[in-house]
Amino acid sequence: MKKVTIYALSTCLWCKKTKKYFEDRKVAFEAVDYDKQDEARQEELMAEMRAAGGTGSFPFVKIGGASTQGYDPEEFEKLLNDK
Amino acid sequence: MTELLEAAELEKLEEGRLRPAWPRGLPVLLVKTGGAVYALENRCAHMGCPLAAGSLDGYTLQCPCHDWRFDVRDGSFLDAPELRLRTYAVVIQDGKVFIKADL
Amino acid sequence: MSIAARKKALRFLFEPVVDKLGYKFTPAEEDADFLLEQEAIIEAETGMPYCPCQARAKDRAENMRMVCPCIPFHRAHYDAMRRCWCGLFVHKDVTDPDKLRQFPEAKMKK
Repeated sequence: MKKVTIYALSTCLWCKKTKKYFEDRKVAFEAVDYDKQDEARQEELMAEMRAAGGTGSFPFVKIGGASTQGYDPEEFEKLLNDK
Repeated sequence: MTELLEAAELEKLEEGRLRPAWPRGLPVLLVKTGGAVYALENRCAHMGCPLAAGSLDGYTLQCPCHDWRFDVRDGSFLDAPELRLRTYAVVIQDGKVFIKADL
Repeated sequence: MSIAARKKALRFLFEPVVDKLGYKFTPAEEDADFLLEQEAIIEAETGMPYCPCQARAKDRAENMRMVCPCIPFHRAHYDAMRRCWCGLFVHKDVTDPDKLRQFPEAKMKK
């Protein structure tokens, strides 16, 4: 099973929907609320998101070695199933 | 009905400075730039902030609250042409600035 | 001002702005209520009703591009999704916002 990590904001509705999506799919994931981290950790997370071609918009979802931004079940399925 | 309302004395307006006025209680912003005088509603189209506390760069007025930018010549919002500030025609008579307002 | 009162005020302020841009509040009432509540809380903490789904930067100019409604500053991207990023606003013709996809600007169809 691929490792799933969700970078989220605690104020973001679509981050909640993303977490629920993986819960409903019974796919284990790690969730990190960006706004609950200290400044140094936030900078690390943002650098990682930007290096992956992302912006400061949430959710940011890492699935295996790939990543995607936004609540997009079609994309989640594609990344979960990609060999 | 359109009325001519006295808003300020012309000599009190400085080039490049924003000046609020309240003719008949209307919140009006007077702007003298490029040698001409413009009158707009002194209330941002975004959240209603008073624009007189903002800044002016040429014909570009920037709201002090969230930096929305408008062209003082026609009131248009620079980032979306559908949004604009109300503007008033200006008449200068006997050293005084009047605005034409529909009341 | 209470958060509940501020939510009402934000709705009152934003409605005519987004209407002129071709958008409306999402018809998903629970979602709209949650998002407005987050904005009212963020505004109470920071002074600005920032988008609840975008991280704030250190640069003021960058942050001002995510003050709600931020549609004018991301127009092509949001028009392509037919919603704004956080989903508080959708195109006027949208009746079922759950069917809309949320995708990053980089994946926008040319």
